[in-house]
Amino acid sequence: MNERQRFKFIAVFLNMGWFAVFVLVPGLMVIGISFTTRDTATFFGLPVTLAQYRELLDPVYAGVLVQSLVYSLNTTLLCLGISYPFAWLLSRSPGHRRPLLLMLVIIPFWTSSLIRTYALVILMKANGIINTLLMKAGLVSEPVSLMYTDFAVYVGLVYSLLPFMVLPLYAVMEKMDIRLVEAARDLGAGGFQVFFRIVLPLSLPGVMAGCIMVFLPAMGLFYVPDLLGGAKTMLMGNFIKNQFLTAMNWPFGSAASVFLLLIMGLMLVIYFGLSRRFNRYQQVP
Amino acid sequence: MKHWMILVCLFLFSVPAFAGEQHLYIYNWTEYMPDEVLTAFQEETGIKVIYATYDSNESMYAKIKLTRGKGYDVVFPSTYFVHKMRKEGLLSPIDHEALTHFQHLDPVLMDQPYDPGNEYSIPYVWGSTALAYNRDQVAPETMTSWKDLWRPEFKNRLVMNDDLREVLGVGLIINGFSVNETDPDRIHAAYESIRTLLPNIRVFSGDSPKQPLLNLEAYAGMVWNGEAYMAAQEFPSIEYAYPKEGAIFWVDSMVIPAGAENKAQAHQFIDFILKPEIAVQVCEYIGYAPANRTAVDLMPEAVKNNPMIFPDPEEVKKGEFQTDVGDAILVYQRYWERLKTGN
Repeated sequence: MNERQRFKFIAVFLNMGWFAVFVLVPGLMVIGISFTTRDTATFFGLPVTLAQYRELLDPVYAGVLVQSLVYSLNTTLLCLGISYPFAWLLSRSPGHRRPLLLMLVIIPFWTSSLIRTYALVILMKANGIINTLLMKAGLVSEPVSLMYTDFAVYVGLVYSLLPFMVLPLYAVMEKMDIRLVEAARDLGAGGFQVFFRIVLPLSLPGVMAGCIMVFLPAMGLFYVPDLLGGAKTMLMGNFIKNQFLTAMNWPFGSAASVFLLLIMGLMLVIYFGLSRRFNRYQQVP
Repeated sequence: MKHWMILVCLFLFSVPAFAGEQHLYIYNWTEYMPDEVLTAFQEETGIKVIYATYDSNESMYAKIKLTRGKGYDVVFPSTYFVHKMRKEGLLSPIDHEALTHFQHLDPVLMDQPYDPGNEYSIPYVWGSTALAYNRDQVAPETMTSWKDLWRPEFKNRLVMNDDLREVLGVGLIINGFSVNETDPDRIHAAYESIRTLLPNIRVFSGDSPKQPLLNLEAYAGMVWNGEAYMAAQEFPSIEYAYPKEGAIFWVDSMVIPAGAENKAQAHQFIDFILKPEIAVQVCEYIGYAPANRTAVDLMPEAVKNNPMIFPDPEEVKKGEFQTDVGDAILVYQRYWERLKTGN
């Protein structure tokens, strides 16, 4: 083995080892535990059963799932709406300015998202910065209720997840051949047609990647609805956390996690299916 | 290649150099001990303190249970968790002989059913969960009962602890039941009552129930007395009231997990906390009453007579201490999920 091969071997081995130990093994443990029975003395015990999955079909838990899906879906749509024009402008800005603009997107994410969520509290609370400014400006006579509303939850979720939408969109848009847009215009296409027949189809892989990267984590960011929404709703993240900690029901919490994994897996399958079809479509001359 | 091997060797051989130093791993509630107390302990004993915090009994318990009581030397569970952890063999007996300040402890709080003879736990502080309100928005004479929380003027203006035992506990109290109820029908009745309270609840606060009061987001609610005390230090309009049906009381104790590696140092620390002057310092910072009779005598009159910290003995008699409800916690959990999903 020469030095380069050894380096390659070590790099690959380290990565695979890391994933095996910290992702694969815990994942398999969760799947295993989801088929056991609650036991407060040992966390989980025999008999092996499907009862946890049957219990998940209860309407209360369906409610938890629907609530989570609605929050995640709305967050994804908001992120897409905000990021799309932004990523477009970013990809069309002069080359020397792009690194700076990208840095501005990324820098806030060097701070822990929990701390950034607390920062939003300081902005939005009744005697916070936004309300103080509004009152000083005479626009409102009483503080506007921003905290502990759905609005606050969406602000928090969108703020936390925005770069996951911007970056994949930017990546595809940057590579997009602008001559196609010019050609379309030369052939008489209006702005509307250029967007729907050229720009949007070409950026679709970025849209899909971005949506998945926002949608999935949005289901798990339980502290955002807790801190900004006042913990009045229960999302999958909170639900799983409560099953593990308060109810000491590891098997049921695991079953809920597996269920969530399945949903995410399903979305990935759809994503790969779509992108394969898309690639084939692109190759047609 | 060789350079990093030298580094690894250096690192490996440097470990024994630390071995002479004594360590103590403490796992405590957030905002539950002033830093000065820890510094004083380190200066007096030369033991290095490694301090970590938790925000719920449940997360503390899961961690201790998973590691079979290894990793931490002193932990601060509440009454019903002492009971649970003792039953499950997660605690190590405490040697009373090693505690030179043992005699300062308040006998009223000793030898309780959750730990007869205090074999495994030494009380740290005790407190209550009752009503808090902002005097600027709420007239004191209108806050005398848990039922006052249901008044229509509090629409979207209450803060509640994000704790299922306490919130459903209020529902149990107003229906005339015990906060330690295990009967599913009675817990159901409590759920029905709390459901009608939902329109008034602005926020369930898990990390710091005083914040919504200080931020003027909430005008009233249920909070721990120490949270109300700290809030009142910052903003004197915050008041605390014991409801006429009785408040919910609890004791937090110091315990040594079964797998603790520094048991001698843990005893030294517990003894240090039992020093009356240290207990006073703790109380003035966190606003919970110390389980230390001598310390209470040392306190300034203003603190000693502050009902927020030291309730009238009558109030304590009216109230109830929380105990472990066993598997009934699953019933509580289920109604809690229904409350949060609006079913």
